[in-house]
Amino acid sequence: MTLETSIEDMEDLEEDMEDLEEDEQLGTDSEEEDSELSDSELQDAFAKGLLKPGMNVLTTKSKTCVNNVEGIRQCLAELSKSLPWVERLDLTNLPAEDILARAEGKLPAADGTVNADDDFQREMFFYRQAQASVLEALPRLKKLNIFTKRPGDYFAEMAKSDQQMTKIRKKLISKQAILEKSEKAKKLREQRKFGKKVQVEVIQKRQKEKKDMMNAVKKYQKGMTDKLDFLDGDQKGPAAAGQKTKGDAAKRGPNAKRKSKDDRFGFGGKKSGKKWNTKESHNDVSTFRSKTAHGKGGKGGKKGGKGAQNKRPGKSVRKKMKSHK
Amino acid sequence: NMPTKRKRRGNSAAEKKAKQARLMLEEGLDAIDSTAQQEIVVPAPVSMGKWKNKERVLIFSSRGVNFRTRHLMNDLRTMMPHSKADTKMDRKDKLFVINEVCEIKNCNKCLYFEAKKKQDLYMWMSNSPHGPSVKFLVQNIHTLAELKMTGNCLKGSRPLLSFDPKFDKEPHLALLKELFTQTFATPHYHPKSQPFVDHVFTFSIADNRIWFRNYQIIEEDGSLVEIGPRFVLNIIKIFQGSFGGPTLFENPHFQSPNMHRRELRQASTAKLREKQMLKEIQKMKRFENKEVATKDVTADVFATPGQEKPVHIQEVEPSQEPHKRKPKPFKRRRMQMRS
Repeated sequence: MTLETSIEDMEDLEEDMEDLEEDEQLGTDSEEEDSELSDSELQDAFAKGLLKPGMNVLTTKSKTCVNNVEGIRQCLAELSKSLPWVERLDLTNLPAEDILARAEGKLPAADGTVNADDDFQREMFFYRQAQASVLEALPRLKKLNIFTKRPGDYFAEMAKSDQQMTKIRKKLISKQAILEKSEKAKKLREQRKFGKKVQVEVIQKRQKEKKDMMNAVKKYQKGMTDKLDFLDGDQKGPAAAGQKTKGDAAKRGPNAKRKSKDDRFGFGGKKSGKKWNTKESHNDVSTFRSKTAHGKGGKGGKKGGKGAQNKRPGKSVRKKMKSHK
Repeated sequence: NMPTKRKRRGNSAAEKKAKQARLMLEEGLDAIDSTAQQEIVVPAPVSMGKWKNKERVLIFSSRGVNFRTRHLMNDLRTMMPHSKADTKMDRKDKLFVINEVCEIKNCNKCLYFEAKKKQDLYMWMSNSPHGPSVKFLVQNIHTLAELKMTGNCLKGSRPLLSFDPKFDKEPHLALLKELFTQTFATPHYHPKSQPFVDHVFTFSIADNRIWFRNYQIIEEDGSLVEIGPRFVLNIIKIFQGSFGGPTLFENPHFQSPNMHRRELRQASTAKLREKQMLKEIQKMKRFENKEVATKDVTADVFATPGQEKPVHIQEVEPSQEPHKRKPKPFKRRRMQMRS
């Protein structure tokens, strides 16, 4: 019952008294904390229409800070001494134009505010402000006969002692040295890696050459070839051919046989269910190669060229050859 | 015979300068010619001009300041030849005693550093007899001795002062600008100063704070290197009198360092406190008097009686089929082979 009545009363402003009383009974905890707003005061405020129905959250009044502008102006008037500029040497200016930032397209805020958290930007802002001042002040100083450039042989006491300056210089030099060392070390590491690679390649090449040579020798021994080309050494021929086939092989990728084996047995290749005798597979003619089907066209022509070089002689011929020896 | 008051000259600096000038003149036309070609002329020594603007700044601190503050004070004294030093003041004394100290030392500006809790550094800047005074909180102090500050300048050379245009926008900032100018600018022809202008102080406003930097002018084209020191000032209050008087301005953005630390601690423990509160609420709930629900009012809401079925009595015994064995064709052979 209490729920229903309170919902209705929220819409009806006149029955505020009962509403407040019920609310107070239900939520006495929050009310006790703020002793300033007593129940009666709340009721009055609600009656006057200052409080609206709904959640009313307490907020602290913002602290009013003293800002006696008149007093400040008066103080300033009393304080200021009319001194010529040469006594004060003060300038007020915005930072100088940053060419790099403009080139990059990110200009700082037009009113001169700078984000205090971005260290680099903030320091650059201060630097450019100082620069603009200096550029403005130098001609004025020249007119007043005040010098900014110190002659090389003018020795006078400096703000930082020579000891301090040598310390600073040493630190800078050491920093640079460390940087250079790390650069050198990196380069050396790269070189070593590269050197190792080159070494491995050379060894492999040598092994391959040896293997080829042995194969060629064996072939000659067995009588498959009767040319002694391999004795001439690695001249242009095998090198060029080797390069060509090497490049080709690299482009082709792994062998077709290797590929099909990978597909069947390798990781991620479909193992079973590759062959189905369905309508689709029956009608699928994508794997039909006419050359293979009609015998690669080399039925007639190939025999003459190929047979002479690579064909291994049959058993009887080999036996005869052996016995001849 | 009254003892003559010895005028305090700029130690060796002024003497060196005078000597240098004399040497140049003595060496004759050759030297001057060569230097004239390079357009570098040695200026006349400072004592040639009359020092009119009598501005003196008293720089000192209270007890309990740490090494960084001490170094900062020394750096400021190095940078400002028109400054005077004094012994540490006991914090038990009231602040207006400082006015008397200033009078004794014949200074008309004062920079007083005060450390609280050995952590927070406050700086008072005031115009001594009647003028306004400001209290700042100093943060981010870096001194001359830091190795990253690579610039150097003549000791006692006059600085250029560079202000952010924001100083002209607010009245209290305009007052501060005037105060800074009078305090930090070395008077012309001050006996301890050098005739060159080779460094620039910058005062900028960012994040409602005043940032101070000191740069050395290397080339005429405006290339600069930082000399140091550097610090950040946070305005707390501006008073009409020197170390007292009615408040003219109070900074609404200022948060006392204690409050700041408190906020940080609260933020880090807020989560923990929430958890603890939840635990306590649960404990309270456990020991609350709970209602024993004997009868559930809503139990009959979804009570839908099932359909009545006729009672079926089985009279005939169900036929028992022979137990079918699972077919195990090769098990027998395997068992035989094993044995």
